Amino acid sequence: MNRKAFFQFTAPSNIVMVVLLVFPLVYAVWLGMNFITFRTINEPVFVGLDNFRTVLSDPSFWASLRWTLVIVLVTVPAHMIIGFVIALFLDQVKGKMRAFYLAAALIPMIVVPLIGTIIFKQLFDPPGLVAWAYKTVTGNLFVFDPNSMKLLIMVHTIWIITPWAIVLFFAGMQTISEDLVDASSIDGASRLQQIRHVVVPHLRPLILLTLLIAVMDMFRLFDNVFVLTRLNPVFRADTVMTYNYRTATTLKRLGLGNSIAIILVVAIVVALIPLMYVTYRDQIRER
Amino acid sequence: MRPITNPVARLAIHLFLWAVVLYSTVPFIWTTLNSFKTIKDANAATPQFIFDPSLDGYSAVLLKSAPDNGVLVASGIFAVLVALVAIGFLAKRIPLPTKYIYWGIAGVLVLMIWGIPRFVRTAEFYDNFINTVIIATGAVIISVAIGSVAGYALARYTGISGIAILLAAIAFRSLPRLGYILPYFQVSQDLGIWDTYYVVIIVLVAVNQPFTIWMMRAFFMTVPREIEDAAMVDGASRFGAFRRVVIPVVWPGIVATSLFMLLVVYHEFILIRILTQSNQTLTVAMSQFIGGVSVPGSIPRQSAAAVVSVLPLILVVLIFQRQFVKGIGTGAVKG
Repeated sequence: MNRKAFFQFTAPSNIVMVVLLVFPLVYAVWLGMNFITFRTINEPVFVGLDNFRTVLSDPSFWASLRWTLVIVLVTVPAHMIIGFVIALFLDQVKGKMRAFYLAAALIPMIVVPLIGTIIFKQLFDPPGLVAWAYKTVTGNLFVFDPNSMKLLIMVHTIWIITPWAIVLFFAGMQTISEDLVDASSIDGASRLQQIRHVVVPHLRPLILLTLLIAVMDMFRLFDNVFVLTRLNPVFRADTVMTYNYRTATTLKRLGLGNSIAIILVVAIVVALIPLMYVTYRDQIRER
Repeated sequence: MRPITNPVARLAIHLFLWAVVLYSTVPFIWTTLNSFKTIKDANAATPQFIFDPSLDGYSAVLLKSAPDNGVLVASGIFAVLVALVAIGFLAKRIPLPTKYIYWGIAGVLVLMIWGIPRFVRTAEFYDNFINTVIIATGAVIISVAIGSVAGYALARYTGISGIAILLAAIAFRSLPRLGYILPYFQVSQDLGIWDTYYVVIIVLVAVNQPFTIWMMRAFFMTVPREIEDAAMVDGASRFGAFRRVVIPVVWPGIVATSLFMLLVVYHEFILIRILTQSNQTLTVAMSQFIGGVSVPGSIPRQSAAAVVSVLPLILVVLIFQRQFVKGIGTGAVKG
């Protein structure tokens, strides 16, 4: 395909992305340098880099960043391990039952995150199933406090993202050549050794991809924290996104909110460099 | 891996997978049970598994006033839905082209959505449902249409600009949405298109376009170049070959990408909340049922609203489960 045809084919998509993703981002950087509230939404006052200084010297920002990093460090490895184990077990089942198990395992990812969180929270609300079980077992009431809330956020996050890992690893396992597995078992490899030396190396690119994408997505975690905490500062469970949202809505500092978003954009792009590099190398090799 | 044959081990595998099934579905089952309870049963100190079912929650969410023939209408709608879902799952077994069956199901559904307000007085939540259908359909069709053309070009072109676009797409896929809220809000208000379907659809198409082009590209990479070369030797233009020869081959990929778009569009909350006031989707409308931190609000209503909002999506994805799973596989293994 020549250059001209390429740009003709990609034109609609490129125009949409430039007009609605690139331009707004530039505009957002400019808005981040302004003082804007809901009342003065059309009369921004230019304040230069003040907003960025305010954010970077705000302890709540660093607290939210720390908490987001904790979520990343716990949920990303956890969901990958759980997903890998479930995929291994699914691989052992064939036919109708496999389709059924897979369908059920997909549900947490199909359910809309906002609604899924409402559903999940019902289990822990006073008349809920888990709250009741907790009371029956321990004799104490289940209460939402900073610790239980943070635990809940992590459990729920793992609950939503695990299906991605299951499906990815499961799909990857279907492409392992049977010959390789047979050869390793003739050589006397046990099942665990096969997993260690055949399955995991085969899935390595997928594992890397899942890892990077999950890390990126965890920085965008918003809906479930929003529903679970209702942005109540009591829980001290602000992620970077809810911190950003709170600054924009509760404090009504829209420009400041935008400057937070821009700082996060820069941070995410820096964190993306490994993924971009890997992709770049693959693409160059492929052509 | 070779299947384990030891019967005890096989039993253990199935038990483990049943635990996974429970882990994934218990929240949803519990909410579905709650949606059929009265407020008294839903707030009982010990969980009630056996109770007198009541449709109060559903009627409070969906209807302005309870109609005289409510039970009849509800069971009628329910029967038609069950029949459609059954046909959807069995589509492969019916000796008709599956394409016609799916079109037929879609036709009956549209007729039903259009017809229901003519029989009963529906509440705002029902309008939110119609908005969701319109916005999701528009966004999926537009983004797959422009995304497939671009994905095809990205799969075939080897120049450096192709790689540049793909890398930029990764970066834009990962960016937080919150930075875009204020620009979108201001500009759409200035242009007078705030709170219309157009702005919501085009914004959803745009923010998901990076993902769409990557996924479509992965599917086009699996199509051998020879088939379009043959068509072009026979005198077809590049676009003609794409439309007549490549698209039919890559059709399963288009279905999978559409499913993904449906999923992300349906999941979108914050952007639609900012861009709309009267044309809200179900997901945004659900936020009124969130309740307080420790005050859950009316559980049956909350549950009924949740079930009504999520069930259509779950059914669509599960009917197309095979394409869906294959889609994740191809999209990621190749991408």
